[in-house]
Amino acid sequence: MKPITLIIAAALAAAPAYAGNSLIPAGRTVQVAKSAMAVTPGSEWNKLGRRPGTNGEIWTLDGDKLNRVTFYGGIAQDTTLFREVDRKNSPLPRFSQTMLLTDVPKLLENSYRVALGSALFTIDQMEPARFGGVDGIRFTYSFVAGNQEVQSKGEARAAIVKGRLYMISYEAPALHFFEKNVAQFRQIADSATF
Amino acid sequence: MIAPLCRRGAAAVALLAGLACGPAMAADRAALPPYSFAYEPQGVDERGMWMMADEDERILRTSSFVIRDEELNAYVRGVLCRTVGEDRCRNVRVYVMRIPQFNATMYANGMMTVWSGLLLRVQNEAELGAVLGHEFGHFEKRHSLNGFKNKRSVSDVLAWLGMVGPNAGLSASLAGYVYSFSRAQETEADLIGIQYLASSAYPSAAAPKVWSRLMAEQDATAAGRKRKVRHSYAAGFFASHPTEAAREAYLSREAAKYADAGDPGAEAYRKGIAKWLPQLLDDQIKLNDFGGSEYLLDQLAASGGSADVTFARAELYSQRGNPRDYVTAAELYREAIAKGCDRPEARRGLGLALLRTQQSDEGKQALRSYLEFRPDAPDGPMIKSLVGN
Repeated sequence: MKPITLIIAAALAAAPAYAGNSLIPAGRTVQVAKSAMAVTPGSEWNKLGRRPGTNGEIWTLDGDKLNRVTFYGGIAQDTTLFREVDRKNSPLPRFSQTMLLTDVPKLLENSYRVALGSALFTIDQMEPARFGGVDGIRFTYSFVAGNQEVQSKGEARAAIVKGRLYMISYEAPALHFFEKNVAQFRQIADSATF
Repeated sequence: MIAPLCRRGAAAVALLAGLACGPAMAADRAALPPYSFAYEPQGVDERGMWMMADEDERILRTSSFVIRDEELNAYVRGVLCRTVGEDRCRNVRVYVMRIPQFNATMYANGMMTVWSGLLLRVQNEAELGAVLGHEFGHFEKRHSLNGFKNKRSVSDVLAWLGMVGPNAGLSASLAGYVYSFSRAQETEADLIGIQYLASSAYPSAAAPKVWSRLMAEQDATAAGRKRKVRHSYAAGFFASHPTEAAREAYLSREAAKYADAGDPGAEAYRKGIAKWLPQLLDDQIKLNDFGGSEYLLDQLAASGGSADVTFARAELYSQRGNPRDYVTAAELYREAIAKGCDRPEARRGLGLALLRTQQSDEGKQALRSYLEFRPDAPDGPMIKSLVGN
């Protein structure tokens, strides 16, 4: 293949993946996930152009496989946490207003089990925590995505406000990456307001 | 590996006998079934298939999804060996995988994977043996190798056809041949599997039951999702397997022909997987498949379900989360506790269900009981905040 053809092919292949990605500057308050939730990051982050769902947004430092912050901005009654890939055969569980805060980790767990095709998901800890100025929950979890062997860890804060679920989660490989950036995530979660 | 052995070990005998040692020996080896002791793959295609399967096995052995429980693995292997015979199963490596779907796989080199979802769906050793015997049939008949050769031949012909000129009809029928070849292999493996079953102590009548219940589960899943499913005898153009209805039908015919009796080993099976049943149930009810899960729980309850099954049903209703479901869940949690369910989570579930059915005092009491049963509960601080002290 000629070099010019290679360059054009590479540009065409790369364009969709990078389209819409943007830099979130440190210290500026930004609205996230097309919702009333706002955060003020203490360091720079990259916002991905692709969204996990209508009310979702993803930030990362080194790529979302290595460190990923997901914002869930007001998940409404009878909607899923993120987009369903195969609604007919693998529908995702839906948020319900009858849920207590203790049900939120299970909602995330069951959504991941279906979406990642993996039974290797465990909720490790959960405790009450203020989130966005209201009573919420903080929980940690571990998982391995199907067809991958990377042990990942996660931490999330969530609250139910006016019948909608607000949540921020942080996920990274347990080896090195989780500890490396978890403090930056906690700072973002602490800064959340609704 | 064959040539040095021939030169060293058998040279004197060969000379004395005046036989040419080489091609004849190789031909003998090629005629050996792949489960023979120290079998070496023959020819470039089989060697390639085995090399790739060896690499897959090296990766799989360290996978987080492999259930490393010697007792469970030995049990599943025992069922395979009792089905196909000790001489055949000796070289097979069985890996039980934590994957909650109905499946088992066989690789060209004698590696077998058994998915945890299969263990939840079969009701006795004979049914498990039917599926494992089917998989072993693929190995014995070298289906991976023959399937690969078939695909290669078809793609060769398609490439030549492309040079001659486009012929959509012929190309489509050749592509269809690949899938029909695959379906024929599956049918052959089914028939070998039931033959093993008939030759074993297990009754061959168990084989079709696996498929009839799988269809019923598919119906229940579809109904739970407000869909309909049609069971057809004719497979689709791109189907790699015959339909469940067809398999159930021809396996029933075969079983009627064998008309063999035997103990299917239901009680032994329940004991064999008892330790893992809570985990298998937990993985199933988290699949967001209310209809299918309820069907499976009904089946397990009908065959002498334990407190674990009742607890799983309570969790299933609690997860669906309609207001009426919490009333049902609370009753089921109570029933599970009364049956002797010693999981602290039963009290947790009961408490959370009661809180949502306006029975706050009783709910808090159940949650306190949970915290007493499990003072180090990972969700202890969260539950304490609900109890209010």
